[in-house]
Amino acid sequence: MDLMHHSSTFLLPTMPEDQRPSLTYALVVLNQSLPRFTPLIWKHAQFRLCADGGANRVYDEIPLLFPQEDASGVRRRYKPDIIEGDMDSIRKEVLDFYTRLGTKIVDKTHDQDTTDLHKCVTCVRDFAPGLDECNLCILVAGALGGRFDHEMGNLNVICHFSSLRIILLSDDNLIHLLPRTHRHEIHIQTSVQGPHCGLIPIGMPSRSSTTTGLQWDLDNTEMKFGGLVNTSNIVEGDNVTVESDCDLLWTISLKKLS
Amino acid sequence: MDLMHHSSTFLLPSSPVDGHRPPLTYALVLLNQSLPRFTPLLWEHAGLHLCADGGANRLFDEMPLFFPKENASDVRRRYKPDAIKGDMDSIRKDVLDFYKSIGTKIIDKSHDQDTTDLHKCVTYIRDSSSDVNKSNLCILVAGALGGRFDHEIGNLNVLCCFASLRIVLLSNDSLVYLLPRTHRHEIHIQASVEGPHCGLIPLGMPSSSSTTTGLRWNLNNTEMKFGGLVSTSNIVEGEKVTVLSDSDLLWTISIKKLWSEITLVPS
Repeated sequence: MDLMHHSSTFLLPTMPEDQRPSLTYALVVLNQSLPRFTPLIWKHAQFRLCADGGANRVYDEIPLLFPQEDASGVRRRYKPDIIEGDMDSIRKEVLDFYTRLGTKIVDKTHDQDTTDLHKCVTCVRDFAPGLDECNLCILVAGALGGRFDHEMGNLNVICHFSSLRIILLSDDNLIHLLPRTHRHEIHIQTSVQGPHCGLIPIGMPSRSSTTTGLQWDLDNTEMKFGGLVNTSNIVEGDNVTVESDCDLLWTISLKKLS
Repeated sequence: MDLMHHSSTFLLPSSPVDGHRPPLTYALVLLNQSLPRFTPLLWEHAGLHLCADGGANRLFDEMPLFFPKENASDVRRRYKPDAIKGDMDSIRKDVLDFYKSIGTKIIDKSHDQDTTDLHKCVTYIRDSSSDVNKSNLCILVAGALGGRFDHEIGNLNVLCCFASLRIVLLSNDSLVYLLPRTHRHEIHIQASVEGPHCGLIPLGMPSSSSTTTGLRWNLNNTEMKFGGLVSTSNIVEGEKVTVLSDSDLLWTISIKKLWSEITLVPS
């Protein structure tokens, strides 16, 4: 079974040059209040996409993170490559502003069968030039909190696209899938994340999961909803390994730095 | 298979009298998140009020904010929890001292690190209720959603672990509870306060067959699982939804953004 490496270097001000694996980042912004580190992940991304009302959030909230600067200048600097979705949330003045700046508008009003995030993930895959799927990592802001059914729908998207690296981010949390097809090594960036973490068998019971690097490690342990689900765990050190017979969600807390 | 009825009458100012079914007895648990705007309403419906550790800080700090014209100290005395339970690593000393001084029972569970705060509160309520009362018991929980994701998942797991108890998780935006596979379900929609957005979620286990009525996109012996179909962004149509499944499902419905004034049950 191949080893898959995970590292949250996109949360660091500068990414180390020799980071393994070498990834290309895309950023998707959904319709929730922006995490405070949005400018940082925007900078690391090569491709930026807003889902419908996520464009309102970029327009309204990024200038608030740069209170000393002129709002219009900030908005021009933080211009999404694409705004995509059914367009029932984006405000007209926001749509007009980004259209004039050259943002591509992809109207998906006809497609009511998939969630906004699902549409964005397929859009990133289809439009991002020359991105190889195994080197691609999609960062998503705004997938957590808000309406519970939306949150569950977003978790389902990362389960559905289990061969893609998709990371859900909020001010407090980072979540991604650990597909059962691989053994996993998670490098903890202790300056920005931890120590609270968890492993979650979201869709299916796991008969056997094994970890190292946690305060309460699993050892061929069974996990399922209605029984043991590994939450309120603590990372010890800067390396966690996970192996499971089942797709697991990995979650780790993000530190409240300024 | 027996029928189980569900109705969010705890979100209405006064509970309607229903001659067909005995009324439910509510208990309220406050966890450590910002209080939903309708917390005073839930408080009025509940016969037992419990704070889990830092939930007492929230009650102390935020309940007076719902009554800006009143003296904060009076509001705090009126909204006095029956018990504060948990490992006590979040509750502030001034808050603990205040509630102790007005007679709240303090149950220190700092030695028990194996279960979540919500789990401890649910066992306390269950163990305090007689068998007769348990079948009519409904535990309302504020502060279980949002915040740290592993906490949210731990709280959802409590619903699954106590599948025979009615436990409802509430936030400003959503209401969530379990529909156990042991029953057919009839959900009476209170359209003035909830909906239309809803979902059915096969948390932790695929469902080979689920069937519904009353939704815009009904399920018909439909398979659901994470990685495949999960029914989210659905819409309730009309006043009644029925659900039958081979698997425990989470039901979730949106809560309307009303309440410019809090309407309370007359005491």
